[in-house]
Amino acid sequence: MTTTAGALADRLRHLLGPDRLLEGDLARNLYSHDGSIVGGDCGIVALPETTDEVAACMRMAHEAGVDVVPRGSGTGLTGGAVPLEGGLVISLARMREMGEVDVANSCMWVQPGVLNLDVSMAIAHLGLHYAPDPSSQQACSIGGNVGTNAGGPHCLAYGVTVQHVLGVEMVRPDGEVVVLGGVAPDPPGYDLRGVVVGAEGTVGIVTRVLLRLTPLPPDVRTMLLDFLSVSDASAVVQAIIAAGVIPAALEMMDRNMTMAVEEFVHAGLPTDAAALLLVEVDGTAAEVNTATEVVERVAREHGVRTVRVAQDEQERALLWKARKTAFGAVARVKPSYYLHDCVVPRTRLVEVMEAIGEITEREGVICLNVFHAGDGNLHPIIALDRSDPDETERAMRAGDQIVRACVAMGGTLSGEHGIGVEKRDYMPLVFDDDDLEAQACVRRAFDPDGRMNPDKVLPTGTRCGEVGLADTQVPEGTWI
Amino acid sequence: MDLRPSGRDELAAMLRAATADGRVLDIRGGGLHSRRGWPFTPDDVLHTAGLGRVVDYEPDDMTITVEGGVTVGEVLRLAGERGQGWPQAPSEPGATVGGVLAAAAGGRRRLRFGPIRDSLLEVVVATGDGRIVKGGGRTVKSVTGYDLPRLLTGSLGTLGVIVQATLRLWPLPMAEQWFSARGEPADMIDMAQGLLAQLHRPTAVIVGPGSLHACITGVPDDVVPPAGMVDATEPSGPGPGVVEIGVPPAALPALARRLSDDGRVFEAWMGTGICRVAVSAPEDVRAMRDLAMLHDGHAQVIDGDDALRADPFGPVPAGADIMRRIRASFDPAGILCPGRFAAAEPVPA
Repeated sequence: MTTTAGALADRLRHLLGPDRLLEGDLARNLYSHDGSIVGGDCGIVALPETTDEVAACMRMAHEAGVDVVPRGSGTGLTGGAVPLEGGLVISLARMREMGEVDVANSCMWVQPGVLNLDVSMAIAHLGLHYAPDPSSQQACSIGGNVGTNAGGPHCLAYGVTVQHVLGVEMVRPDGEVVVLGGVAPDPPGYDLRGVVVGAEGTVGIVTRVLLRLTPLPPDVRTMLLDFLSVSDASAVVQAIIAAGVIPAALEMMDRNMTMAVEEFVHAGLPTDAAALLLVEVDGTAAEVNTATEVVERVAREHGVRTVRVAQDEQERALLWKARKTAFGAVARVKPSYYLHDCVVPRTRLVEVMEAIGEITEREGVICLNVFHAGDGNLHPIIALDRSDPDETERAMRAGDQIVRACVAMGGTLSGEHGIGVEKRDYMPLVFDDDDLEAQACVRRAFDPDGRMNPDKVLPTGTRCGEVGLADTQVPEGTWI
Repeated sequence: MDLRPSGRDELAAMLRAATADGRVLDIRGGGLHSRRGWPFTPDDVLHTAGLGRVVDYEPDDMTITVEGGVTVGEVLRLAGERGQGWPQAPSEPGATVGGVLAAAAGGRRRLRFGPIRDSLLEVVVATGDGRIVKGGGRTVKSVTGYDLPRLLTGSLGTLGVIVQATLRLWPLPMAEQWFSARGEPADMIDMAQGLLAQLHRPTAVIVGPGSLHACITGVPDDVVPPAGMVDATEPSGPGPGVVEIGVPPAALPALARRLSDDGRVFEAWMGTGICRVAVSAPEDVRAMRDLAMLHDGHAQVIDGDDALRADPFGPVPAGADIMRRIRASFDPAGILCPGRFAAAEPVPA
């Protein structure tokens, strides 16, 4: 028997107390949004502080048959944390404890509400860091990073979130708590850990994350290269990697973005350049010297105007600040923005940059580009004023054309932001019906009732065919 | 009977027929990872050698797309011609790409380059009922949809036949060399720990009974013999009859000492938590599992005859019911290696 939504609220209020169950209009409005331009409809918001409380909330929602939307810091850019049709939002923002650092095994359990940057700051004195570094790392949470399989500039050499999550503790949709993965590598069975990371909260709620910690490199060098044409800069990206150097990070910024950022950060960026490349190489002193030589040589072969090498940690931090505050700097151009994070094969960078230029010019919108050039992960940011319906419409049209252009060049929909609501209906551009049905079946294997973050990731109408399998029928004497 | 599909369409037709007829299939690539999981008796053996095309190699993107029956050696040869490599690959050139992915059988460079699952960008799989399903994406970075590539890696042929894989390649290093030393087991373990502490991102540090191997990758200035070590080649593994232990990396020194004391033949991949041990009897498997569990780890038989594989995996994993449902949706009739992976096994109602 299921209870009504009102009865669920009563039970949750009894569990968490009135301060940690938000039911007022202001809260419901706030929790109807995330960092995207998607708006939703929030029912009630629970703020649990422990795994047990999350499990209790999930059991109650299960018994009431109510949908659940997990939420981290709400910085997501695709509407993944936006509840679409009421239901229960479970915010993990209050679960901010970090466990002890396991130095011998270079790992640490943290709760999902811990902010990304706080991890690296807490362990720097041990010579360690947490490698994935989304630009929003001062605000985004580890739980959200796990949900979207977040990336960041340094993922070029170090890999994305799933490569740095050894295990997860997850509350399943019925309230059961499981631990998937762990410190010991490659446990027998399917790699469910790998599926949970990037599942955008559709398979359960992750309540603890076992992070792999990476030694800080012994040496690092950060360079700013500036070019008079975007195609020269793109060619250098390709040539550096073709020369056998995988930089720790390889970022590009176009002129529109450089101007917005420079006004904001005052990092001495050349605002007359068509494109800047921020290149960081790290490793042993010998590796860094060799890589630096290659980068400088390749850049000169392709018409670089200046090569600025950060002289100290302060200058390096300033250059990175310029890169990582870029999204914020867009506010100097327009109050809001709309962006995609398609990925294209690196060899198509010049072509796709030209296409983006043509599309945004045709639609009459301002586009600023700052992105992970080394792995072909674009971030065309269309600045807009959402109070202007015509401009908003043109921005949407431009975004749509950009996505289609990227896919046509052999690219994919998202490199690190996820699918959420916003790109959900583009999924058929890259997957056919059989592909999508298989994904729906994987999802359903975790969430048979379909109550976890419904209507996200997969297009409406994608179904897993009936699978007649009773859980209890297990052969005698085998593994289970 | 031996089934030898020459392409994905024929493969799909064979799978549909097997599903319709309820004929149990084993899947065979290079045959190097077939002695895993619970023994089962197939009606037919499906050989993937006919899935042998190199579909696309884009050196400038550092990605290669090959069919599942292409050998590891062929990928390395093609990549090598363009100054690239697949550093997560195992060292057996005759193994097939589909086979090593299905077995998650990565190579000894894992310490620096990570597990083999991290090199699989896109996978195309033929399900038990003959659907062709694609997951992931060919770009070097993608979070588009559920991670079927990781789900397929290590699935031991129970979710589908790997038809095609897109792999991420890396530039060949400017320099790389294996080094070795021999001596008292305790000294070798101490030296190994010293290397892990001193070297920045060593490629491999491998302890055997009274031996130490290390691989260093990078620029020529860095690739020099560590104190007390001489030039060598990659070591070979124990076997036939192998248990793979996985423990927290910090437990490996104690584990290696114990294995040395017991006179076992083994290779401990220091820093990764992986240790492969030669076994010849079911009680060896039990002993290795007890030892692994003592260190909060696990042990599975990765090569063994039927007797050795009486209990190949140990305790039931968390989420076994999820695994079973995934398996049932990919292979509704349960014809793909049924019994091999019993936790994931669908049971007819």
